[in-house]
Amino acid sequence: MDFTRDILPLKNVLFRTALRITMNREEAEDIVQDTLLKLWERHEELSSVSNLESFAISAARNLALDRIALHQNKVITLNEELHDTADSSVSVHEQLVMGERTDMLHQLISQLPEKQRTALHLRDIEGKTYREIGEIMDISESDVKINIYRGRDFLKKNFKNL
Amino acid sequence: MNYQYIEQLIERYFSCQTTLQEEQILRSFFVGEDVPGHLMQYAELFRYENEAKQESLGSDFDEKMIALIDGSEKKTKTLQPQRRFTPFFRAAAVVAIVITVGSAADRAISSQSETSAESAIAVDPYIRQSDIQNTIRVKDVSQAEVKPQVDTLLVQPTEMN
Repeated sequence: MDFTRDILPLKNVLFRTALRITMNREEAEDIVQDTLLKLWERHEELSSVSNLESFAISAARNLALDRIALHQNKVITLNEELHDTADSSVSVHEQLVMGERTDMLHQLISQLPEKQRTALHLRDIEGKTYREIGEIMDISESDVKINIYRGRDFLKKNFKNL
Repeated sequence: MNYQYIEQLIERYFSCQTTLQEEQILRSFFVGEDVPGHLMQYAELFRYENEAKQESLGSDFDEKMIALIDGSEKKTKTLQPQRRFTPFFRAAAVVAIVITVGSAADRAISSQSETSAESAIAVDPYIRQSDIQNTIRVKDVSQAEVKPQVDTLLVQPTEMN
């Protein structure tokens, strides 16, 4: 297994997924870095992994969830500070390019519970099958569908009202 | 133009019945310019899905990662026992040569002077021969890129004495 050939190319899918969970670009980049390093440390065991990409996404998601849990503990004491810097998932350039409605859609997506947001992301942006999403998120295929259904439904209803 | 097919797909999309391929058809449709008014409300969502896929990390990230991997690579290599002990074996070999050559020279000199009691030992043909043998063997080893056998060789002179 070669780092540049086999592991590094996973960076973008990991980045997008971590960004969707943390809603913070710097944090998402840190998570990708940590995930890639961990994968490389264990690269000799990875030849037995049937789907390296799913395995990597799952690892990145777990790291992202750990970080979020850490933040939620801090929220109690640092509530205001975190509130000010809440959503940095959109770069300044994108904010200029993005229309007002896209910005609102982005806000709506960030309001979804993490499971719905991640399942929706893996399906609609990464093009994963329900089975793959189930493996990544460690839930059943029907739970995947329920989460995606609820996520899409929420967006549809709320976006119409905007 | 009849948009019945697209309308059906949208309906099935929101009830989680579309295939991945059908979802791609929807995204492609909404990227196009000729979206009719009554479907515009969905345009933003499918366009957003298209654009979000372009999000990526630049080449500066690659450089940082490769530097990190190279760094940790060197660290793990120095921790491998064989590599860690190589300098030790080299030093031991050098010390062994210096000692053998030194003591051989010492004995050669002292064997020339007939006054000391040590000269009797030094003259002993057995000891001198073994010294010479060791010198040759240690030299051979040092030329042959030092293998772990060196430390057994290092023990030999005392055993022979």
